[in-house]
Order: sequence, then C-alpha cells, then structure tokens
Amino acid sequence: MTEKLSEERLEKIRQLIMNPRPGSKVAAAKEFGIDLTLTFGQLRKTPQQRLDDLQSAMRGLEEFARAGAEWRKRNNGRI
Amino acid sequence: MVEFEPAIKSLTAKEVDFVIIGGVAISVHSTGYVTRDLDFCYLRTTENLKRIVSAFAHFNPRLRGFPEDLPFIWDERTLQSGTNFTLKTTIGDIDLLGEVAGVGDYQAVKKESIIARLYDCDVRVLTLEGLIKAKRAAGRTKDLLVLPELEALREMLSETDEE
Repeated sequence: MTEKLSEERLEKIRQLIMNPRPGSKVAAAKEFGIDLTLTFGQLRKTPQQRLDDLQSAMRGLEEFARAGAEWRKRNNGRI
Repeated sequence: MVEFEPAIKSLTAKEVDFVIIGGVAISVHSTGYVTRDLDFCYLRTTENLKRIVSAFAHFNPRLRGFPEDLPFIWDERTLQSGTNFTLKTTIGDIDLLGEVAGVGDYQAVKKESIIARLYDCDVRVLTLEGLIKAKRAAGRTKDLLVLPELEALREMLSETDEE
C-alpha cells in the first residue's frame, strides 16, 4: 500500500471530487450524501496516521459514553 | 474499544498468518468510518492456531456475550472446534474469522489483500475490492451504507493510478 499519495495524484483526485463525472461512483456518493472532502483529508495521510485517527476517535467516543453514563447516574437516569 | 497496537504487534511477533478485515481495514483505506472492534481473517492450520493462542493468551480472551463464569479454555483445540470467534479481551473486542462472506476462506482473502506498514510491522489488509465484496455479501444496512464511499474511493484511486 502506498505510504503517501503524491501531490500530483491528490490534485487529480481533488478535481474528481470537485467536478464528478455524471454517472460516476463519485457522483453517486455525493448524491448519497457522502462528504468526499473528508475522505480526501484521509487520503493525504499514511495508513498509520489513518489508524491513529481511528484509535483517537474510538477513545473520544468511549469518553463521551462514559461521561453520559455518569451524568445519567447523577441525575437518576434522566438525560 | 480495542487497542490496535498490542493486538497487531503481538500477532506479528508470533508470525501469525492473518489479514485485517472489517472497519479497521476500511479506515486504513482512507475513510472516516468508526468501528468498535478489530476483525481478522486467519489461516486455520494447526500451526497457525497455536500461534494465535500464544499471541493473545496474555490478553485473557473470553467469548463475548457469554456469562463470565462459563468455562472457556483458550487453546488450539477450542479454535479447531469453530471457525468464527467473537472475543472480549483485556485490550478490547477482537473477532477472528476463518472466512469472509463474499470473498472466501483465508487463502482467497490473502489474495485480496495488500501490505500496509502499521506500528512498524508489515500487515496484510483486505483490499478495497475485497471490502466492497464483503460488505455487499453481508448486506446489512450498516454494511450497505458504507458502500457508496468505498466505491467512490476505488474509482478515484483507479482513475488516478500512476502505475
């Protein structure tokens, strides 16, 4: 797997996202509601950086869930 | 939550034949997909089962969703008795799959994998094509929802391929 995409290739991908070809999968994804600029942001990273992002997001969600559980406990189950 | 680094490093150190599949593989390929567990497809030879047992023994694996007091022995005999295992470990939830719907057994999954450098280890990860096949075959709403992004990503990468 390529460690990092070249700037030239990233620019081509950016163009595909900004000007999707009618009938393409990129156009279909945008139509579906996918924000491909977020995907593009991930493409700029190495596989390790993407995995680090996921681990960080998981930690954040777990922290959020823990805080919610504590809140409910303090407030007799009310949100 | 699952800690990726100890799981991946431990499997690699014990030379386990495995491929990362599922949500973590999706994330490695550049999407913002968030998952809660770590899924591996593994080779079901006796030797590889022994390596898996050794790699995860210190994470105290138990079957997820079963009572804590239900007897469970983590050894190669237990792994031989099934194909897919959903485990709760001290580093989080880990799923071991002997085959992947839509792709096939370990050898088929390995053919549909690429090598990524993760935690200073060369690790096999299911390709975008393999992930798309697996998600289509799984067919649950949560699987189908991720397909448009995966297919767009595959298209963007193939149309800009420099090789």
